[in-house]
Amino acid sequence: MTRLWGFGIAAGAFFFLILVWTLKVDQSLGPSNFISGWAVFGVLVALVLFNGRKRLPFLPLASASWWFYFHITGGFLVVFLFWLHTDIIWPNSLYNQALVFMFYSVSITGIIGLFIEKTYPKSLTQSGVEYIYERIPERIAEIRAEAESLIEECTEKTGSDTLAKHYLEQNSLYWFFIRPRFFFNHIFRGRAAKHWIKNQCSLLDRYLNDEELAYSKKIFDLANTKRIMDFHYSMQRVLKGWLLVHVPLSTGLMVLALWHFVVVQVYL
Amino acid sequence: MTDAEVKRILSLPALQILNKEKSSVITRLEKILKIHARVMRYEPNGIVIREGDYGNSAFFVLSGEVGVVLGLPPESLGRRTLHKKNFWQALSQLWSNSKIPEKRDISRYGPEALRQRDDGDSQTTKPIFLQDIPRVFDSKEPVLLKAGDYFGELAALGRTPRSATVFAKTDAELLEIRWQGLRDLMKLVKGWRHEIHQTYRKNALKTHLQATPIFSHLNDQDLQAVADATRFETYGQFDWQGSYKDLQEKDSLEALQEEPIIAREGDFPDGVLMVRVGFARVTFRRGNGRKTLIYLGAGDFYGADETFELLKGKKDVRMKVSIAGLGYVEILRVPAEAIEKHVLPQWEAKNWQIRTIDKGPAKKKRPAKFRRMADYFDRSLADSALLEWGVQERFVNGTQTMLINMDRCVRCDDCVRACAETHDGNPRFIRHGKTFQNWMVANACMHCADPVCMIGCPTGAIHRTVAGGSVVINDDTCIGCQTCANSCPYSNIRMASIRGDDGQLVLDKQNHNPILKATKCDLCSDQITGPACAYACPHDALKRVDFNQVILD
Repeated sequence: MTRLWGFGIAAGAFFFLILVWTLKVDQSLGPSNFISGWAVFGVLVALVLFNGRKRLPFLPLASASWWFYFHITGGFLVVFLFWLHTDIIWPNSLYNQALVFMFYSVSITGIIGLFIEKTYPKSLTQSGVEYIYERIPERIAEIRAEAESLIEECTEKTGSDTLAKHYLEQNSLYWFFIRPRFFFNHIFRGRAAKHWIKNQCSLLDRYLNDEELAYSKKIFDLANTKRIMDFHYSMQRVLKGWLLVHVPLSTGLMVLALWHFVVVQVYL
Repeated sequence: MTDAEVKRILSLPALQILNKEKSSVITRLEKILKIHARVMRYEPNGIVIREGDYGNSAFFVLSGEVGVVLGLPPESLGRRTLHKKNFWQALSQLWSNSKIPEKRDISRYGPEALRQRDDGDSQTTKPIFLQDIPRVFDSKEPVLLKAGDYFGELAALGRTPRSATVFAKTDAELLEIRWQGLRDLMKLVKGWRHEIHQTYRKNALKTHLQATPIFSHLNDQDLQAVADATRFETYGQFDWQGSYKDLQEKDSLEALQEEPIIAREGDFPDGVLMVRVGFARVTFRRGNGRKTLIYLGAGDFYGADETFELLKGKKDVRMKVSIAGLGYVEILRVPAEAIEKHVLPQWEAKNWQIRTIDKGPAKKKRPAKFRRMADYFDRSLADSALLEWGVQERFVNGTQTMLINMDRCVRCDDCVRACAETHDGNPRFIRHGKTFQNWMVANACMHCADPVCMIGCPTGAIHRTVAGGSVVINDDTCIGCQTCANSCPYSNIRMASIRGDDGQLVLDKQNHNPILKATKCDLCSDQITGPACAYACPHDALKRVDFNQVILD
């Protein structure tokens, strides 16, 4: 927290410096946009370096957490510098519109990413179990196999195929066990999956005798385990995936910004 | 050993300290030797034990001569000297890391390191030889031990590193006795027990006492008197790692009840207890269970307050806590009478402010409010929960435990990638492990205070670095015997099948099985950044910690 305050104060001071400088240049009818433009471009380049730092963990280039805090404060700083530079929310020319669109896209995905990174881990911890993302499909397959063998055993021992038929019905248990489900509901921390399992259970109960109910209970216990696994899958996918939007957009922004920089330097 | 061999050995003049006992004792002695001893034969220059190794056996010289040397260079003992990479060497990892997993330059290995080791009797395995013996003799003057001498008993019984290297000077026959055998021998042969205790008192106990804050101010005479009065006690199983996994399956109350009691709450205090080796749990009654107050590690002590109150005439002084052994623990008990006679006058003269628990000068940074006993008693159940878990799981053994705050961890695996980048493309830990609340102890080497993995390594490949003390493996001398991996109670050492330049598995020429090497976290000992995992974590979620500090701070 101390570090974040330190970066925040430094960012504020930097912005204030640029603001005063541009105002002074404005008063003398000079090109103040050059100053704010240089500041925006410089901060953007510094922000992009975070990704480079991640690829060089063996070099003493300050810890990744230092860079992370720098990236957050620098990210918010550049938004204010950008507004100072552009003076308007939405420009007229197509190129500038593309540039602004990319800038806002990067900023918004960054803020969403920050929100995700600060809130999702706690939700995952509160689920009470921990799953390695890459191993979840394998674990789901194991659970499915276990559920299906229970259903086969139930059919063989009770002579009733009620549970087996229900399992195979459209949008029923087979649908649920075949792959991760309720992705969007999970990422917004909804309760649809829990409700769906409870509903499936109550639908079936009245058609089962005591022996079948014992098997049904085991299967729904497995369904609940799989629900938590789905939750992990969805949340971890978002945690890993948001960067796949943010980073390519950042690359696009840097290309457009570089071209803008070159054009301005050459023609103005 | 066979009966005939036991009889032959006991008839040797070299074992006169043992064989002069009564016939009833000899019969029991034979049984002990048959179960716990073996005869080892060494050719000249063969290494018997290495300085810094952890071993669980002692040796009697039966015939021939062995040399004892101190301070040999690590290379001559099959270890490597770690050099930190410079900036450019570190940067070159960017393009020089191999795309082939566990690729090795096999030209640098000796024949032993490329051979699958037999699991049979070690008498038949080829011993490791001291390298460059003339240079060793030139630079060091070995002390020679002859038939009848014995060595290695203090390190074996005390679970401490070997203090010297011993090698065969001539063809030598040695009797190797496991620690269990030594323990039984000490019970059986009083003369020998006395001799071992005297050696310890003379060589190590005074130093240990002097390093303990409550005795550090004593003059030499009083210190010697306290040392003479000190009693040695051992609790628990020496090979505790063997039963560790069974222990994990038991509930915490059951496991607690199985811990050997060193001192019991409510009993009359009879002096100060000092932990010499291992760990002890300090608990007090809460409801129908026992709450862990703190744990004691090597160098910690307990009971000064109670003893002080008792000696000052306070009535009805009782032990406020129970102390139980965790795994294997060795205790030094300084009786109240010795304290009254030699220590109390000085405590009073200096108006000594006793702390019942004082972790010594190295840990003074802890906030003051946590340094008094009352604070430990007052901690809430929630505050103590992590301590209970850490003690139960024996994570307190770790000095560099990988502790991940899962409330912060975004599961990005930057730590794993950084580990791979700094180890030629091969990560040396798994970001998964036991969890408690929002904490996870990942499967990474904890660089334990009691490194059971180091016991029994036949080539000394696994060792502590001189600088830093982290536990590392020398890949060049590892013979893939899996002793360390099987011993690690936390399953943090993995055996890797190595590959050559062509990406193919390297196979033993005789049996065509893949050659294995033990791999584990080396704390990035050769990297300029320190542990890459912690350095690469953007959210400060992953830290390498001494569990003791985390749960007490």
